[in-house]
Amino acid sequence: MARRAKPGRARRLLRLGLLALALGASAYVLYLDQRVRHEFEGRRFALPAKIYARPLELHVGLRVPETDVLRELRELGYRPAVRAGESGWYVENGDTLEISVRPFIFWDGPQPAKQLRVTFGDGGVTGLADAQGAPLALARLEPLLIGGIYPTNNEDRVLVRLAEVPKTLIGELIAVEDRRFYTHWGFDPRGLARAAYSMATGHRIEGGSTLTQQLVKNFFLSPERTLGRKLTELAMAVLLELHYSKNEILETYLNEIYLGQDRDRAIHGVGLAAQFYFGKPIEDLTPAESALLVALVKGPGYYDPFRHPKRALERRNLVLREAREQHALTDEQYQVARATDLGLNPQRAMGTSPYPAFVDLVHRQLLRDYDEADLRSEGLRIFSTLDPRVQGAAERALADRLDAFDRERRFGAPGLEGAVVVADSQTGEVQALVGGRDARYQGFNRALDAARQVGSLLKPAIYLTALEQPSRYTLATLLDDSPFTWKARGAEPWRPVNYDRRFHGAVALRTALANSYNVASARLGTELGIDKVIATAHKLGIEHELPPYASTLLGAADLSPFELAQMYQTIASGGFRVPLHAIRDVTTQDGRPLKRYPLAVEQAFQAAPVYLLVAALQDVVRDGTAKSLADWLPPEIGAAGKTGTTNDQRDAWFAGFTGDRVGVVWVGYDDNRAARLLGASSALPVWGETMAALEPQPLVLPAPAGIEQTWIDPQTGLRADATCAGAVELPFADGSAPQARAPCASVASGAGVKSWFERIFGL
Amino acid sequence: MRILLLVLVALAAGCAAVAPEQPAPQQPPENAAVASLMHSAHADADAGRLASAEASLERALRIDPRNPRLWQQLAGVRLQQGDYAQAESLAARSNSWAGADDVLRAENWRLIAEARRARGDDAGAHEALERAEHYGR
Repeated sequence: MARRAKPGRARRLLRLGLLALALGASAYVLYLDQRVRHEFEGRRFALPAKIYARPLELHVGLRVPETDVLRELRELGYRPAVRAGESGWYVENGDTLEISVRPFIFWDGPQPAKQLRVTFGDGGVTGLADAQGAPLALARLEPLLIGGIYPTNNEDRVLVRLAEVPKTLIGELIAVEDRRFYTHWGFDPRGLARAAYSMATGHRIEGGSTLTQQLVKNFFLSPERTLGRKLTELAMAVLLELHYSKNEILETYLNEIYLGQDRDRAIHGVGLAAQFYFGKPIEDLTPAESALLVALVKGPGYYDPFRHPKRALERRNLVLREAREQHALTDEQYQVARATDLGLNPQRAMGTSPYPAFVDLVHRQLLRDYDEADLRSEGLRIFSTLDPRVQGAAERALADRLDAFDRERRFGAPGLEGAVVVADSQTGEVQALVGGRDARYQGFNRALDAARQVGSLLKPAIYLTALEQPSRYTLATLLDDSPFTWKARGAEPWRPVNYDRRFHGAVALRTALANSYNVASARLGTELGIDKVIATAHKLGIEHELPPYASTLLGAADLSPFELAQMYQTIASGGFRVPLHAIRDVTTQDGRPLKRYPLAVEQAFQAAPVYLLVAALQDVVRDGTAKSLADWLPPEIGAAGKTGTTNDQRDAWFAGFTGDRVGVVWVGYDDNRAARLLGASSALPVWGETMAALEPQPLVLPAPAGIEQTWIDPQTGLRADATCAGAVELPFADGSAPQARAPCASVASGAGVKSWFERIFGL
Repeated sequence: MRILLLVLVALAAGCAAVAPEQPAPQQPPENAAVASLMHSAHADADAGRLASAEASLERALRIDPRNPRLWQQLAGVRLQQGDYAQAESLAARSNSWAGADDVLRAENWRLIAEARRARGDDAGAHEALERAEHYGR
């Protein structure tokens, strides 16, 4: 017994041990099973919100030259030659452009592919018709994708359904990566053996891992390679196969796979890869194009077709060969595919966005209505107001000017920075936002976050406050620009001085603004009441609190370019404030409308005083501190604006508007050092260059009821007539024009003499 | 109080009447794109598809922001949507581009009157109607 008991006990122990092992293993498998199911089913790919520019709307009368339309088409990835059976190309034919527009789902519904014939002349569109020549009223191109709001790992993807993926792509993938995909149980011993063999013989094609294993690895596991890992991976692959169909696994694989890198943006899934490399939807990929994507599976960096085209082409051809061998391609398909080049979309390195400052603004405005988490995962489609044409002009103007200033060291040491905001003055849509001279740099957004002294840019608030009281102040009212001291309790006496260190005596109100005289402006502001001027600034759209001191009148307040753009928008649209906004519409990823951001208007001021202020700001450009704008814009444009320069010339500003756009430019050093900056010589050129590139509309404000034109003698501020030398015709609120006649008028005109007598003798 | 208001309104109207007419701002010829958008906005608004009407009108305004008819039509849509404050502001915006078009001004003032009445501002509505009368003559 005892002799037999020993082996018996050992066997029993062994049996127990095995049982425990089996139990442990099953528990582990059960755990894995639960994890696989939970994560696979609960798995929803985080889809970043996608941000689009405004779509270019083509119509007769559009003032956009052909070169700019061509630039937009190229940025959209349109090819410059007919591609039969495809959309997304154009043909130039003299002044006519034939465009095959891609289909696109807009916020107001899907728009099918269509062919356009656009005729240009005179710097704009003169004809628009369909392919048959029938005239069209309006047609829009699809909008440029300008960025997204990404998950923290910056993974970007475009989800596709298996049915949308070309059969050839699937055939090629299976031929190269996992030949027995449809028959194995998640792992493939023969494939493994073959991989080992081909590795030994140096013909390594397959990796040995099945698609299921690759998916498990990407999905659940960290990249470390240990035996335990390998076993877990195997078990999970088998479990995945037990629960899900081959098609479900394949679809997930196609959406998960990492296929490239665009700066900081990771390209995942074949849907996005098709767009990124070829600029087309997955359905339209040719066998050669899909073969390139399959080639990238093995190593998107190593086979990067942009950086290593030869390597990529060899690998692609290998994929094609394997696919033909496996009968995934016919001989004919193979021959055609092999003969084509890589066919890459001219690369538009974008990273998470080419316009980080603008995307930042969109993001902030979205956060008023959406959760951060939803923005990063729900695949929302955001239709923004960015106009790539305006943005491009502003970026180029800022970078070119600052480069030149740095070279000349005109204003101080190199390293100048700047910011630009441009908006549609009537609709309040932000068309461009530049956050620094390197517009691609995703850092400090000066357009929104730089808080800088605004200097004279606040002066229009003083003058508007005055012009709202037509019985006291008109454009011709003489202001006092003689030495002035302001005393307030508990504060040092304040003695403002003019930029030219001189005093100018009696000056007309419009001249004081045109020449930006500090002393006259400060005296006027204190006469009106500092609190009243500050209230006007707030009504114009300045949201930040302004210090209740006299020095605020001359701009001793820190504001961002964006906030000043809001202020000047209100002036530019005749007193109707439209909140500056960067978003038009938001839809779900499949195009269902979620939210509109409607045009909202508020009449903040009566039309007459704003009309007068605009006339005065046009004088600033005509013969005031912004005279040099004539180097960029012809006088017919009638642009209005204001220069700004701060203490020790640390900041240079220009804010102004044409008939269609309002813009603000700031230039200065980030460390706020004293420099030799002047609004007129450093910020104004950037503004002028930007606007000049954009066919500006002339600024013609409609004269509101209650405005009359009167001739004035600028010397005396009294009524003149056309015969007076140097007389100017100025707008006045009804009844506010001076009654007294200037000497020149009273002598030169009989009527004038009579009325002068009338007044003197009370007749 | 009401009588006083009426007198004031009448006075204001009288003052406005002697004011010289302003020339109409130069309107470019009606753009085909704008016309087609206005047309579809009309159809949408009549069918109660207000969001579509609104979108079309905003699209048209981006092309031709100086067109007082567009601002007016958008004001009408806002009125239908029950956004009375915006309806009034947009009608005022339309007036600012109306130039010498007194018929349009009268329509805008009637629209403003309706918006004010809907908001419970009867006195304001009355005043707006007076203005409409004045321009409608």
